[in-house]
Amino acid sequence: MQFHFQQALRAVTLFAFFLFLIKLHLGEEITKYVNPKYVLFSQTAAVLFLCLFYVQIQRIWGKRHIHDHDCHHGCSHDHGESASPVKKMISYSILIFPLVTGFFLPAKTLDASIAAKKGTLLTKPVKAQEQIENESELSHLDESAAEVEPNLSLYENGEDGFDDQVPLPNPNEMADEEYKEKMKQLDNSTMIDMKDNVFEPYYGEINAEPHKYIGRTLKLKGFVYREEDFQPNQFVLARFLITHCVADANVIGFLTEFDKAHTVKENAWLEIEGTFHTTTYNNAEVPVLKIVSWKEISEPAEPYVYPVFTRIK
Amino acid sequence: MNRWAQTSLLDFTGLLAAAVVVYFSLFGGWVMKQDFISQIPASLLQLNTIFLSILIEAVPFVLIGVLIAGFIQIFVTEEHIEKWIPQNKFLAVTMSCVVGACFPACECGIVPIVRRLVAKGVPIYAGVGFLLTGPLINPIVIFSTYMAFGNDLKIAGMRMAVGFIAAMIISLFVSLLFNGNQLKEAHHHEAAIQTKNRKIPFSIRFWDMLKHSIDEFFDMGKYLILGAFFAAFVQTYVSAQALLQVGEGWISSTLVMMGLAFILSLCSEADAFIGASFRNIFPATSILAFLVYGPMIDLKNTFMLLSVFKMKFVLQLIALITIIVFICISFLN
Repeated sequence: MQFHFQQALRAVTLFAFFLFLIKLHLGEEITKYVNPKYVLFSQTAAVLFLCLFYVQIQRIWGKRHIHDHDCHHGCSHDHGESASPVKKMISYSILIFPLVTGFFLPAKTLDASIAAKKGTLLTKPVKAQEQIENESELSHLDESAAEVEPNLSLYENGEDGFDDQVPLPNPNEMADEEYKEKMKQLDNSTMIDMKDNVFEPYYGEINAEPHKYIGRTLKLKGFVYREEDFQPNQFVLARFLITHCVADANVIGFLTEFDKAHTVKENAWLEIEGTFHTTTYNNAEVPVLKIVSWKEISEPAEPYVYPVFTRIK
Repeated sequence: MNRWAQTSLLDFTGLLAAAVVVYFSLFGGWVMKQDFISQIPASLLQLNTIFLSILIEAVPFVLIGVLIAGFIQIFVTEEHIEKWIPQNKFLAVTMSCVVGACFPACECGIVPIVRRLVAKGVPIYAGVGFLLTGPLINPIVIFSTYMAFGNDLKIAGMRMAVGFIAAMIISLFVSLLFNGNQLKEAHHHEAAIQTKNRKIPFSIRFWDMLKHSIDEFFDMGKYLILGAFFAAFVQTYVSAQALLQVGEGWISSTLVMMGLAFILSLCSEADAFIGASFRNIFPATSILAFLVYGPMIDLKNTFMLLSVFKMKFVLQLIALITIIVFICISFLN
């Protein structure tokens, strides 16, 4: 019997990976890393790590020549016995590195600096503001503004229009009928509520045919993000769309305009109501929101939005 | 030493190992509350978050990959492979591409599997065919692409078709250009050992399979971690937007999209939404290049391939993939 230090180290590493995943799940930090729809994958990984740990502890105490015993089927990889000490040190440091940063450093929500790296592509800056101030649009706007009046008093009453919102059911999955119902609501209502669970499909629809929505009111929350060539009265109110994990985060949001835009700090979370206009950029119609009311909020518990998957029966 | 002492020694070591880890993780909770954590720049914390998220996303698939690799190592013999793979190169390539297309894998999970297959005597060109179509063509990828492009089957269909054709051409070129298995280390003694292996009872072989999977994980793991870290670094500090300014005209926009696919290292199941967000600024063919090229090769994947194959082969393979995908896309224009 001999104690194999490297096998012990591997056992510890496997257990640490298991514990790291479990810790993320228990603390619900996992949503800061991956789309909650896919947590089952990492739960499976945690179970596999535990099984492998169980296998690995059998190898800690073994015969003197573990290599003979193990390698009778002629494998090519390193059993942790062959490489030079320096090489081993490096490879174990690499393996332990994510565990150290994972256990010791808090997860950080992506912010505007990442958005700036990725670019919001869909909402390009408006160079000349007067482009959108065309007469027919304005008159159209006045008509519909009257219709949405009751809703606009929302914030003045001190009522938080978002409080009654049901928490996002974690896997953003809905039945086909429910989805169609929600999309019909988008088509018909003059007051569009961009709830988290419909953010992505609504965003897609509105960007596909911005002219259809001119004059309608939109309610949404997001963080403030600016690009270099924005006017002082402009910013994007954006959210990160997470398909799988935060590495594939995509910035989606609407260009908004209002006079006090420059007073709002980047990365601040706002909830706003605004009316739609459109402007043209690169021969494409782009929606712009004129803010009617706004207030600062703290970062929501679920800062990200997820694409909708409709259940197929 | 008697049996009882042996088992209790195992239990004790196992418990000790667990205790050490738990102790350090509790220590982690304490560290997170300290002041100096708040002084770490936000960008570093975000880099760390993206890095870990790539790992968390990839790890389940890598584990499944190493388990399958372990299975192949122990249960599949060279004679099996010889029987299954057609002698004719074209047929072998076609078969490997079709098998890859039916096999739901992602680009990190498939590397250990391919390594094991090639070590077992699968010709390198067939291995490459499997490597390329595995992550690119599978039901989840088709579905997510369909969703991302506004429930339109056209892009999803094109992605599969162009991807399959490109994979076939690349594998055929590999069959012409390369001999030998191109693995980092040679495998000579495999056949002799396999015959001996058959007499060993199933339970022991299953146990061996798991041990192999662990070794494979530790082998692959470090490259996966390096790849994930570099991909996260690029995402945090390199502006993709600067890259996008270059993209005028279909040639440069296609190259830009391929470059982006390489450095972003997205999972093939998730890249369609990113691809779709470029629809307004780039032609559809450039986006198709992004969707086809990304699952075939990317930064994270390159690191993993380097752990398996010779450096020269990996670099030539990357060049080959880049050229062939680009030419395939050009034909569409």
